[in-house]
Amino acid sequence: MDKNEKLEFDVIVVGAGLSGSAAAAIAARGGLKVAIVERGQNPGSKNYFGGALYTHSLLEIYPDLWDRKPPLERPVTETGFWFLSKDGMVKTTVQGGKVNSQPIDAYVALRAKFDAWWAEQAQKEGAFIIPKTLVVDFIRENGKVVGVKTDRAQGEIYAPVVIITEGVNNLLTQKLGLAKHDIQGDSAALAVKQLISLPAATINARFGLTDNDHGVAMSVMGDVSMGLPGLGFMYTGVDCVSVGVGVTLEALREAHIKPYELLQRYMNHPMIAPLLAGGRLMEYGAHIIPEGGWKDMPQLFTDGVLVAGDAASMVNALHWEGTNMAIVAGKCAAETAIEAHQKKDFSAQGLSSYRARLDQRFIMKDLHQYRNLSHFLKTHPDFMAIYPTFLNDALGMFFTGFGKPKGQLYKDILKSLTNRRPLLKAVGDIVAFGRTIIGI
Amino acid sequence: MTETNAPKNDLPEVYIDDILMSLKYFADEHEAHLKIIDPQVCVNCKEKPCIQFCPVGAYRTQDGGTVQIAFQSCVECGTCRVMCPPANVSWKLPRGGFGVAYKFG
Repeated sequence: MDKNEKLEFDVIVVGAGLSGSAAAAIAARGGLKVAIVERGQNPGSKNYFGGALYTHSLLEIYPDLWDRKPPLERPVTETGFWFLSKDGMVKTTVQGGKVNSQPIDAYVALRAKFDAWWAEQAQKEGAFIIPKTLVVDFIRENGKVVGVKTDRAQGEIYAPVVIITEGVNNLLTQKLGLAKHDIQGDSAALAVKQLISLPAATINARFGLTDNDHGVAMSVMGDVSMGLPGLGFMYTGVDCVSVGVGVTLEALREAHIKPYELLQRYMNHPMIAPLLAGGRLMEYGAHIIPEGGWKDMPQLFTDGVLVAGDAASMVNALHWEGTNMAIVAGKCAAETAIEAHQKKDFSAQGLSSYRARLDQRFIMKDLHQYRNLSHFLKTHPDFMAIYPTFLNDALGMFFTGFGKPKGQLYKDILKSLTNRRPLLKAVGDIVAFGRTIIGI
Repeated sequence: MTETNAPKNDLPEVYIDDILMSLKYFADEHEAHLKIIDPQVCVNCKEKPCIQFCPVGAYRTQDGGTVQIAFQSCVECGTCRVMCPPANVSWKLPRGGFGVAYKFG
């Protein structure tokens, strides 16, 4: 291509996910000429999660969100934990009260539908979407990134700022040396999911929901992962249920289990199967969740480049946050790009205010506070094997101990713990877990 | 710690090919984005955990102990790239427009 005809933008965004399309929308709204390069057939066709989206992050990009009629499923009006033993379940869930305050904090969504719409909103702001195109490398001048090379013929695209939102398989981030290593098996989880079709009325009846404007989001622990370090989940869509399980890559490999069989085992659980009975498989899928957080964070910027979302390890594994971090970080990256254009400084120094923006938000604060979480799970691999089952035993005994001397009942409950874990070690586990969460 | 070595034999048998019927793909007939780097390395790999951990069962053993990848089934998760013990997988993303296309996500 003639040098004079080169394809040039103010900003290139790599990947039309939650982070990328948010970044593109904000940059375009700020007057920049923006291209989103997306490898899928359409925005959304490669994107996958559990899952629920967090309203605060959507409103931050589009204050008129509701007028735009986002393709969301049900609002999350009941949420919490289900602790599974082999044949039982303890539920600790919350509904009403704070969970029911308007606007509802979280909505169940399907990413192929949602992300297509999310990219369309960026397009309405003026961003230009280039689909079916894979970014394979960067264009560098004097050691600085000044664009991307795609897998299209004459597929070079120039821009002084490239925002990388390529997702968890952050090969481009690695290529630039910003990530020092690939995903790590002990701080990333493989999650597999089945989307099950059920009539809305059936979902309402089985999950105890008043109508289609009520929904559940559950984290499931214990037998769901066969005690391996991992979690299950369950989300209700309007007429579908997302059911899945994630286990750290290393635990999965060591246990020699097939992830789709682990998922089927969860779906067959006597407490779970009745919820899904008669449902039809709509779609299966698998995706890696980067759970290393702070520890696995790449360098977030360099000359001409900013990184956001899963590619930058922005996930809080305990609170199921990631989508909101991706969106807000995308916004921070776009604001940084706008500022860089105003100052005409695209060097690492010029882009360093990205870090300051992230530091001011929950993103860096939370990731720092939970920085030892993946280490905790590594050093306490039996946590999910011991406590969810103990909880089932303890409450099960407490509520069935009729006609039994209660002194003996409490001894039995304590014994069901100490049979699994010596008391001192159990106390140590709880203290260590508490310290991990508080971040000390 | 009694549950640590939980019995692994209560896993239901699942025919992954039936499940994969729910997925839509744009298959690249010209280029395999996943390749075994050295077939002999797979022959020498005793555990072959790829056969188990691949979430779409794309890794299958053949006579003689080599491993074949049904790359057309791949959902591009990345597990094999990260977890192959001898790092014997050449892993690329499919060319633009190809590979899995989630209808719902």
